[in-house]
Amino acid sequence: MEAKYDVLVVGAGCAGMRAAIEAHDAGADVALISKIHPVRSHSGAAEGGINAALGNASEDDPEKHAFDTVKGSDYLGDQDAIQILCDEAPDDVYQLENWGAVFSRTEDGRIAQRPFGAAGEPRTAYAADITGHVLVHVLYEQVMKRDLKVYEEFFVWKLAVDDDRCQGVIAWNLLDGGLATIGAKTVILATGGAGRLYTGTTNAYACTGDGMAIALREGVALKDMEMMQFHPTTLAPTGVLITEGTRGEGAFLVNSEGDRFLKNYAPNAMELASRDVISRAEQTEIDEGRGVDGNVLLDMRHLGAEKILERLHGTRELSMVFAGVDPIYEPIPVRPGAHYHMGGVDTDVWGRTSLEGLYAAGECACVSVHGANRLGGNALMETITFGKRAASHAADWALTHTTVEVREALETDAERELRVLLDRTEGERPWSIRNELAETMHVNFGVFRREDQMRKQGEIVDSLRERFESVVVEDKGDVFNSDLTQALELGFLLELAECMVIAGLERKESRGAHARPYDYPERDDENYMRHTLVTWQDGRPKLNWKPVTTTKWQPMERTY
Amino acid sequence: MDAPEWACLLDVLDLIKDKHDGTLAYRKSCRMMICGSCGMRMDGRAVLACKERMKPIVDAGHVPVISAMGNMPVLKDLVVDMSPFWGKIRSVKPWLDPGYDEVAEKERIVSQQQMNVIHKEALCIMCGCCVSECNSMEADPDFMGPAALAKGFRFVGDARDQADVERLNTLNEEHGIWDCTRCYFCNERCPKGVDPRDAIAKLGAESVKQGVDHDMGAKHAKWFIRSTETTGWLRETELVPKTQGIIEAIKQTGFALKLARKGKVPPPFPPHVAADVKEARALRELVGEQGRDGALGIVQGEHALGRIEFTEEAGARENAPEIQPGVEPPPAEG
Repeated sequence: MEAKYDVLVVGAGCAGMRAAIEAHDAGADVALISKIHPVRSHSGAAEGGINAALGNASEDDPEKHAFDTVKGSDYLGDQDAIQILCDEAPDDVYQLENWGAVFSRTEDGRIAQRPFGAAGEPRTAYAADITGHVLVHVLYEQVMKRDLKVYEEFFVWKLAVDDDRCQGVIAWNLLDGGLATIGAKTVILATGGAGRLYTGTTNAYACTGDGMAIALREGVALKDMEMMQFHPTTLAPTGVLITEGTRGEGAFLVNSEGDRFLKNYAPNAMELASRDVISRAEQTEIDEGRGVDGNVLLDMRHLGAEKILERLHGTRELSMVFAGVDPIYEPIPVRPGAHYHMGGVDTDVWGRTSLEGLYAAGECACVSVHGANRLGGNALMETITFGKRAASHAADWALTHTTVEVREALETDAERELRVLLDRTEGERPWSIRNELAETMHVNFGVFRREDQMRKQGEIVDSLRERFESVVVEDKGDVFNSDLTQALELGFLLELAECMVIAGLERKESRGAHARPYDYPERDDENYMRHTLVTWQDGRPKLNWKPVTTTKWQPMERTY
Repeated sequence: MDAPEWACLLDVLDLIKDKHDGTLAYRKSCRMMICGSCGMRMDGRAVLACKERMKPIVDAGHVPVISAMGNMPVLKDLVVDMSPFWGKIRSVKPWLDPGYDEVAEKERIVSQQQMNVIHKEALCIMCGCCVSECNSMEADPDFMGPAALAKGFRFVGDARDQADVERLNTLNEEHGIWDCTRCYFCNERCPKGVDPRDAIAKLGAESVKQGVDHDMGAKHAKWFIRSTETTGWLRETELVPKTQGIIEAIKQTGFALKLARKGKVPPPFPPHVAADVKEARALRELVGEQGRDGALGIVQGEHALGRIEFTEEAGARENAPEIQPGVEPPPAEG
């Protein structure tokens, strides 16, 4: 065993770094481990902001935040967890400001807040349109200040489970090669999402659902995996994110006829309806022939150059570089793209999973505060609040519990398994499987879902998994073997796709991101106001259900 | 090999890795210019691979040469060892020092104007492109380098930070701000418009303002200003003793005489004075009246994307220099 820690955090984005800081401050011996350097994490690509009822732009309170989130979740969010998030959010944001986060400011020097989709008040605190970048860097500054151990460019491949307890991880050292077992009394997964399941995604290449998959393989359940959020404004042709903040600042969505088509879908909230509603509206316009080359247009010309340069500077840069369009003069082409996994590792409000010693936080977890549809600005908030909470519980547990013992056989078994893959010289290379998976998921498990397409997708994933069994890695070397890690990532993605398909088929209703207009167009609270739970048994996903926690909000019709 | 029209350098590398050589090594992640993973060189200049569109290059019939970033050891193909880079970042104590330990109940009150002071430095994604191109670092591997110094200014310029004098003292040490050769490659090659050289200039100005002026670089700058203020001209003969001290200056007398014989320096007596010294002084007073002393006095090299000018009614000015991605913009007028 390489080393032993009280708390080992896998993934070093916002949730991971916030967790590591909390665990350290609670007196635990902590380390971070990540396949990319912490500041490269995809949290940094979050743009629009972070939701907390600070009340700096209007009268606001956590209660209103909680209601908006419950409604936004299409009543699939657990209301106790949502209440915790909204209550703790303001202090957690002040903490970030105290650490030095460069938030945009109001006239009187407080943290500025902007309107965001499906929020009753302007509640989204922001740093221009680079909020995630600012938070990742301020958290890394605090990690450096505490001189925390970071295993940079270590690819975590397996959990070290011994004695029915998670006691560390087995990781591939990207820079030097070789497997290493890193022991820990508790492990916190904070590995982010799995947007790479789709061709059109805002997600980074790193977002391959590693944490979800390695937990799944150890018998831990994944919750609400069918709930993949499609963001309404991803830039054509590459799918990079255009922040909801553009609409928060007043940008319009128009179709090929120049119509603000949302008047037909969300007449009150218009462009600030929830993301699932707007993505469906866009897809309907595009499907019915009112799109522009498979896109709709996001028009922010009326905001004026000054506002665009000050608050949407990054958006303008992205539009110019990736679409060749300057939003000061022209509308930009956008379409729905895979953005955020509401589903993930099933946890309680302290980030605990069903496996002792294993925690999860951030996008890879499903507490669930987002239910069937996440509100913009709630993801960054969740990473901070639940990263903190998971670490505080993990540190507490680690400091009062026993030592770490991992049998050496775990690493030698893993070594042997890896050898089989590395020694194979004949076969298919992974990239075509990866591309086929992402293309078919987009077609068959996208904004709208049909029974027959989902079934077909299940068969496709099965056949891709079969092909993956004999996949060949061309790079046999030790130094920066990304050919190997990309193959391992594909293995993760394939299993997650299976989980999504089975959960999608069994949820016979339309709720949030899961829209089945052709067979089950309505929400069915009587039968399906409950979470899907998928576990892995004998190489196949198995579906179960789990009740939703409601406290004070009964389901109502959801209109915007 | 075929690539889509919108392909950037990173997409092309992916195609090569997929279809031709699985062993090709490079870093990547966000592919949207924010994670800073894919710094490398194209035709000898540092770029972010995800930002460089390849179509214009293909259309021009050019075959670019791709190589790893400079000033950092190469580990494999396009992957460099960034640990020296991070070591230098750490050396500037890159975290806010608010002067107290407890967490305030609310946010500190800071105006947007105060936040704007560090706007550009806060954009830095730590990709290493500036360090790759740094000529000072090529000569002196211990030079702190543009990224770390820009990070230094991110805190010196932060109204909430209470350790500026301590920070300035560190940044004024050997291998610090005064060892920059001002080649401006960092400004030019930074893919995010951070303009690290401007940050270094701001640190210099702020050091002098706060009395951190023990380094020869600071003394040199101070005398430069003093000289133009008193005579309207730079008097080089006085610059050496004022910067390096009398003894050093005497040691260089022989060299000075040689220069004088070749007509390279003006005679020290009588000191040359501008025809209208008042003009120079008036300029200096004007700057003073604007309150732009210290870091706030540095106005050079405003961010390229901010250079486009507008009028309220007409929108963009007809003749405003258009900024194209990847193309160095023309200098601002005036």
